[in-house]
Amino acid sequence: MYASVGSRLVDVIEAVDLHRTYRTATGVFRRRAVEVAAVRGVSFSIGRGELFGLLGPNGAGKTTTIKMLITLLLPTSGSARVLGYDVVRDAREVRKRIGFVFGGDRGLYERLSALDNLRYFAELYGVPPREQRSRIAELLALVGLTGRENEKVEGYSRGMRQRLHIARGLLHDPSVLFLDEPTIGVDPVGARDLRATIASLVKAGKTILLTTHYMFEADALCDRIAVINKGQIIAEGTPADLKGIVADRTVIEIEAFGASEEAIGRLRRIPGVSSLSVEERDQAQLVLVQSARGHELSRELVAHLDGARVGRVVVREPTLEDAYVALVTER
Amino acid sequence: MTSLRIFTIGGAIAYRALFNWVSPWIYIPTLLGGPIFQILFFSYLGRYSGFEDDAFFVVGNGVQICAMTSVYGATMAIANERWFGTLSALLATPASRFALFLGRAVPFIVNGIFVSTFGLVLGWALLDFSPALSSLPALALVLLVTVSSCTAFGLLLGSIGLRARDVFFASNLAYFLMLLFCGVNIPLSDLPGWMGAIGRVLPVTHGIEAARGVAAGEGLGDVATPLLAELGIGAACAVAAYGLFRFFEADSRRRASLETV
Amino acid sequence: MRILRLMLTGWVFTMKTNLRSGFMILTAVIQPVIFASIAFFMFQAGQRSGTLLYAAIGAGLMGIWSTTLFSSGGSLQWWRWQGFLEPLVASPAPFALVLLPATLANATYGMYALGMTLAWGKLAFGIPLTFAHPWLFAVAVPATILSLGLLGFFLASSFVLYRHANALSNMLEYPVWLVTGVLVPLSLLPGWVRPIGWLLAPTWGVRAIRDSALGGDPLPAIGMTLGLGAVYLALGAIFLTYFMRLARERATLSLT
Repeated sequence: MYASVGSRLVDVIEAVDLHRTYRTATGVFRRRAVEVAAVRGVSFSIGRGELFGLLGPNGAGKTTTIKMLITLLLPTSGSARVLGYDVVRDAREVRKRIGFVFGGDRGLYERLSALDNLRYFAELYGVPPREQRSRIAELLALVGLTGRENEKVEGYSRGMRQRLHIARGLLHDPSVLFLDEPTIGVDPVGARDLRATIASLVKAGKTILLTTHYMFEADALCDRIAVINKGQIIAEGTPADLKGIVADRTVIEIEAFGASEEAIGRLRRIPGVSSLSVEERDQAQLVLVQSARGHELSRELVAHLDGARVGRVVVREPTLEDAYVALVTER
Repeated sequence: MTSLRIFTIGGAIAYRALFNWVSPWIYIPTLLGGPIFQILFFSYLGRYSGFEDDAFFVVGNGVQICAMTSVYGATMAIANERWFGTLSALLATPASRFALFLGRAVPFIVNGIFVSTFGLVLGWALLDFSPALSSLPALALVLLVTVSSCTAFGLLLGSIGLRARDVFFASNLAYFLMLLFCGVNIPLSDLPGWMGAIGRVLPVTHGIEAARGVAAGEGLGDVATPLLAELGIGAACAVAAYGLFRFFEADSRRRASLETV
Repeated sequence: MRILRLMLTGWVFTMKTNLRSGFMILTAVIQPVIFASIAFFMFQAGQRSGTLLYAAIGAGLMGIWSTTLFSSGGSLQWWRWQGFLEPLVASPAPFALVLLPATLANATYGMYALGMTLAWGKLAFGIPLTFAHPWLFAVAVPATILSLGLLGFFLASSFVLYRHANALSNMLEYPVWLVTGVLVPLSLLPGWVRPIGWLLAPTWGVRAIRDSALGGDPLPAIGMTLGLGAVYLALGAIFLTYFMRLARERATLSLT
């Protein structure tokens, strides 16, 4: 029930059959009430010191799930506990112990400096006054904003705002963190530093729930991953487990110029093609085919792409991203 | 202890973050310049109309000008959270909602007292208004009560502004209607009955009545009735404002109705 | 010909935007009606109930000034916030020809103010609307609006450089009402105030409208109004060229 001290691995975050429905109205003249089920029975548990990844396409229910865990939304049914405290009944206790980073352009006081933004939230989170100055200085250094903290946020770039969001989430040294796409909008070098920071936070004993679209990030950082699609968890396990779903497959990447819808459709129907996805690049399309058949298939695929020019063809081992694509597209 | 700090320090920071008129280039023209001329305008108009003396208009307008900062400002202090998208960040903290909400009122009360005092002093310097020195402490008290009540009214509008659209239109409208209904320039007895009735439930009306009495030399005891009425209206606004805020918060958790993240 | 079309387009566009703006409705309709009511009650309570038409006209003029004032600062500010200002300046049309129709439209919108105060006066307070020289009234009103629009243009061109134009606008409402004698007669104010008023279009405009309504000779006032308008146009154009250059030097066009 309660997170107790001791060597037992205790569930720090526990979600039990969470459901969340939204009621919206559609139509302009005759407004009909429509019920949208954003989260349809999500359950998982996260242990102390775990870095747990929640992956899924846009609209899958990731943000709604997180909002329920951070007490901003009430579940329509089901329950969740963070550090043993119920997110509905003991909301205030939960809020004291968690931090979250949603990022984005909004959510900061534009007219204030970064320093003032942090000072304000330090007060709201009850950071002891004596510690505020040193904690804020530490965090500014951690996210690489030292020297710019007295500038007004309205002049900040996207990446700088993202970093300020992260600093704010860590102000009260929470033992549980919810990070929603923390490295989005940050330049590659800065993002690498942030990932190192996240890893070190986990090493220091924090429990983290992370959402991301960067598969290599999830692969590198996460202890366990849950894949959510259309409001339900469709797979859960370590990165290796998930890669195992497609371990027996080969991935064939074909760079095509001007492949028609029809041609792609033909490719899909070739026996042995487990999954096919197309990424639009500037002039070309990248066709990703997963198959158990491997090399032999690539010739057949290229042959069926008549009418289009074919560039590089690569045959490789599947990555976490391929597992994710397989999971999300094959259901 | 934390709640006290949220109330004071947090309130001051929120003032700077959300009040649109902090910069001196905006503050001086909007909150000091314009209002002074309002006092002059109505005092001269009063002279032309041929009723009541300067003191009537100076006290009436001098007290009412606090509404610029109290009504507009307090509305901004709540409703602008929506503009900046910071509401969810606020609500996810463990901070006491009471300290958070009411702490925002304090800088505006201070502001309002300053603005009104400035107006009254200039009214004394430029027009025919000379209250006795002995009446000043009582006048200060009346001002404190009236400004607080006005600020509470502003907070109420701000809370409504968390959900309703165009709350700034409503607060502008309220400002003008207060000029007409609250006995600022026309005694309630000279207004049609229904206007006076509305005026009596709005902030500022009773405060002005008390202030005029005190400036004319009456004691606090003589103006106790309007003073307490003003206090009551302010308290009612504050309770309604806070209650509405908490209601919207709970409702947004149920129905995702506030623009949180 | 192109210039006229450009101006007409600008004028129509601003009118449409204004019609939908709650803030403009507040300034052009609600505020004048409320101030008119305050004046009516004050005059009734005092000794001046015979001059309610005077009050209605005065409140109407107050409204025209408010719409002109707030929209000169406000239009620019709104353009800034919406990020329109930079594209407008960068377009081939001279900025003066973009700003001018906007300020003229804003003043035109002020006609609502005069119309509303007169209508409200009649409906709610029973003021008889008999004008001494109706035809001259019909000339005096557009002349006033034109010159006020040009005054707005002059103000707006000064505001191009100043980020907080709105704040200054907030401060100029009451002083101009006083100094131009639209409601409070200039005879009540200290003598040194009068020359300031003579430089402002509303002083002559209200005189023209009042004389044509209540009796008197409005023609000199109409002449002064239009003459001042021409001066505002010239000064505004000069200032605008100069300030636009400064704004581009100091990179102040884009800041909100």
